[in-house]
Amino acid sequence: MADSETAPKFAPFIGMAGIASAMIFGCMGAAYGTAKSGIGIAGVGTFRPDLIMKCLIPVVMSGIIAVYALVISVLIAQDLTPPSPNGGGSNYSLFSGFMHLACGLSVGLTGLAAGYCIGVVGDKGVRSYMLQSRVFVGMVLILIFGEVLGLYGLIVALILNTKSKG
Amino acid sequence: MATRRIISQEKTLLEKDDSIGSSPAANEKSNIAPAVPASVIFKLLAFTLAMIVVPIGSYFATVDTLFKGNSTYAGALAAIMANAVLIGYIVVAMAEDQSDQLEGGSGKPKTDNKKDR
Repeated sequence: MADSETAPKFAPFIGMAGIASAMIFGCMGAAYGTAKSGIGIAGVGTFRPDLIMKCLIPVVMSGIIAVYALVISVLIAQDLTPPSPNGGGSNYSLFSGFMHLACGLSVGLTGLAAGYCIGVVGDKGVRSYMLQSRVFVGMVLILIFGEVLGLYGLIVALILNTKSKG
Repeated sequence: MATRRIISQEKTLLEKDDSIGSSPAANEKSNIAPAVPASVIFKLLAFTLAMIVVPIGSYFATVDTLFKGNSTYAGALAAIMANAVLIGYIVVAMAEDQSDQLEGGSGKPKTDNKKDR
């Protein structure tokens, strides 16, 4: 029942909020990207069904956003352990809790931004690619730059997560 | 009287159908080949499976064996593997487009489909 100043009882709550925010916001971005670029595919597929294979690229990229959130959630969840039942309080410090919240928010909200970018670019870019095939290289480059936004959040979250072991 | 008239009209209509052939494709075989070839379906299924299995599978496969419990490197490897699947998908999609262009001269079915629509 040791409720120390650096490891209070509510510290795991903050860390679990990090896990939840990573998955929730990341999947919100991935779902928006998948749905919006899916609308574009539905518009293109009726006119040029042979282009569907290449038009699925934004959908795959949206899936990667969700994978980033999943990786960070698994990483944080491995650091969380329940307090031992025989009296001893959890040694999960408040510092770790806030840091895990920062991990989750950074990967979740950058995933939301990246998914939004991929959705809009995927919808409009695919429709333009139907009319002008040279748009493809530019579309894929813009999609990759949007995807990299989520990757930056993942890198920051990974670096933050290493600090909890120290 | 009325019944006889109706019967006679029906007969003439049926005979017209048979003689003129309002459905000229009745004797021909319709094109029942699937719109999406099986190879494309298998490619898409393979990439879907890879997208689900490869990143998280590589994480759990290497976190204890290759990286000795350092989960940060394993997480980074999972992200890299997800991007590897994406790059593989882009390469396959580009190759598919080029193969379509090479078959452009002989690829009659696709052009026929476009004309029909």
